[in-house]
Amino acid sequence: MFDERTLAQSKDLAARREADYQRIVEKFGNKAPAQARHPMTHSGLPIKTAYYPHDIAGLDFSTIGAPGQEPFTRGNLAAQYQLMNWANQPVIGYGLPEDTRARMDLLASQGMVGYFGQRFYNLVYDLVSHEGLDPDHPAARGRIGQCGMAVYSVADMERLFHDMNLKEMNVVHITYYQVIPALAQYIAYAERQGVAPGELRGNSMNWYHQSAYVGMSAFPPAAGLKLAVELIGYCSQHMPRWNTTNFFGYGIEEAGGSAIQEIGLMLAFGIELVRACEKAGLAPDAVLPRFGFQIAQANDFFEEVCKIRALRRIWATTMQERFGAKDPRSMHVRIHTHTSGACLTAQQPIVNLIRTTLHAFGAALSGTQAMEVSAYDEALSIPTEEAATLALRVQQVIQEETNITAVSDPLAGSYYVEALTDQIAEAALALAEQVEAQGGYVAAQQSGWIRREVEGSADRWREMVNDGQRQVVGLNCYQVEEETPAGLFKVDPEVERVAVERIQGLRAERDGARHAKAMQAFADAAGAFAAKDIADLGDGALMQAAIEAARADASTGEMMGVLKSALGWGPPHEF
Amino acid sequence: MTRPVRVLLAKPTHDCHDRGVRYVARKFRDAGFEVIFTNFLLPAEIVNTAVQEDVQVVGVSSSSGGHMPVFEDLIAGLKDQGLDDVMLLGGGVIPNEDADTLRQWGVKAIFGPGTTAEDAIDMIRAWADGQDG
Repeated sequence: MFDERTLAQSKDLAARREADYQRIVEKFGNKAPAQARHPMTHSGLPIKTAYYPHDIAGLDFSTIGAPGQEPFTRGNLAAQYQLMNWANQPVIGYGLPEDTRARMDLLASQGMVGYFGQRFYNLVYDLVSHEGLDPDHPAARGRIGQCGMAVYSVADMERLFHDMNLKEMNVVHITYYQVIPALAQYIAYAERQGVAPGELRGNSMNWYHQSAYVGMSAFPPAAGLKLAVELIGYCSQHMPRWNTTNFFGYGIEEAGGSAIQEIGLMLAFGIELVRACEKAGLAPDAVLPRFGFQIAQANDFFEEVCKIRALRRIWATTMQERFGAKDPRSMHVRIHTHTSGACLTAQQPIVNLIRTTLHAFGAALSGTQAMEVSAYDEALSIPTEEAATLALRVQQVIQEETNITAVSDPLAGSYYVEALTDQIAEAALALAEQVEAQGGYVAAQQSGWIRREVEGSADRWREMVNDGQRQVVGLNCYQVEEETPAGLFKVDPEVERVAVERIQGLRAERDGARHAKAMQAFADAAGAFAAKDIADLGDGALMQAAIEAARADASTGEMMGVLKSALGWGPPHEF
Repeated sequence: MTRPVRVLLAKPTHDCHDRGVRYVARKFRDAGFEVIFTNFLLPAEIVNTAVQEDVQVVGVSSSSGGHMPVFEDLIAGLKDQGLDDVMLLGGGVIPNEDADTLRQWGVKAIFGPGTTAEDAIDMIRAWADGQDG
């Protein structure tokens, strides 16, 4: 990329600077921090203290390219924020459906928009739904409307979305493993509004793969992969505008994984999932354009930016080379950024606003498609309205006031950024190959290897914080005596009573015969599904039966009960 | 020689925030405790495991809310089984107000953000020494 003369100069000047640098560091002797002698990124990659043209002279320029050109290192599209800012996608959900709707309306009135002014709602279900229970189950007590919305049926969907035009909005359903029941209920509700599945826009998470690195109860890994393929198969036939799958890299970072693990493991899972889809007769170019990513933006500013650039490159090249993807959309990495929650502190919580601003700024520089900025009080409680609004303002200030949206991939060409992007890409590819060598993602999940790798990284971070190698403001340095702030958010205890009353009312009032018939058919479909190989999937039979059950007012707990008994269910990790 | 302290650490099955408690479990094991780690749906499951495993310490980690009913049922269940002398600990994201109530209910300590595994290890050792004496 550089001519001989420039390279010679680069090496010469670098050598002189290095000599000066070493001399100065030596003067400091033992007082020189470790980072001065052996600089590293947060994921442990060795870096240099300054970069030069010759550091990237070995790079083929085609791996960098141009915005909107393969391999998309510099972003998916030729026109990026110039025409369309990233979407503001705060996660919303708590209490009764009506409570969540009020928060949706509040944020919409505060300028929360998706692409081209469209309404965009990122909705999270509560812990009871996540567990696949109904609110009157004994284990539901204290968890109803916590960390998400108490939505368990088509009737609850009506309470949430009444008066809204589903055709004109984009709804992300954040579930754990109740993906199919939740989507089935949304489809059944849309039908009652006269909206066909094919007219719906939004996302299912479909992230059974997260049980490789987080410990909630789950379906067994192989069954999870089949369920993911089932939903993709149904949507590819009936819901062409629906985004079927989200690669949950964020969960890896939150579980303590490094930037390299985050993207390397998601690439490995991508390989597993596309391979499974192919077996089920779903062509890569038919399914890949509807995949997206949730990616963390954490503290190591440049590593996190380069991680995104590297992910775009290795995803595109892998999908092209390995699976013959031809559609550019099959090669695109569409990212929903979630600024890191694990980097936030309960100490001096307002300082978290500074952290989240840096995270959001990095994500914006890396060219993300949508963003959720963590609320500053989330280490303490469910965010208050004030905190949720300020988190939205962080995005708006960057979008409206900094002018960084004028230029695509503005950090490209930095010797450091290009060198580090390449280094991360190579390390992540090597990790994905390591997973493949074990038989693929599901095998590495079953053996516990993925969890051990991620936990090893989490432990290294913790030890570094404990012994002061890693500084966290307010936690192990610059501490103050402080009172816990007052006015933390609490879910009204009335939510629990109402939710229980509603589910019992639903059971009493629905057409019992229709419900029983639909549930029997769903149980039969689940039994047949459990016996099938991946190659026999793709007809969407289980999904169709789930929709029929939802039409008959089946609850999430009832449908999950069927799936759990057909497929197995339990905590995914030994200690 | 005193036998090693047996500790049961429990996490709700729906709570994805298990990075912290699993770290603590490893540190406890490194400190010489015998550690049983389990996920639970109902507090009764913790009580059953505490009985079967004959533990002296029970720690519950909760970072997604819903901890008060869990402790309420757990404390009642332990009492029913005659395990009033078990040392009960909490951790995760538990607001101070709730932590005060829990201490009144007999929970020995709540290890929230900013505390270390060593803090808990020291407290358990001191408590266990007191029990032996």
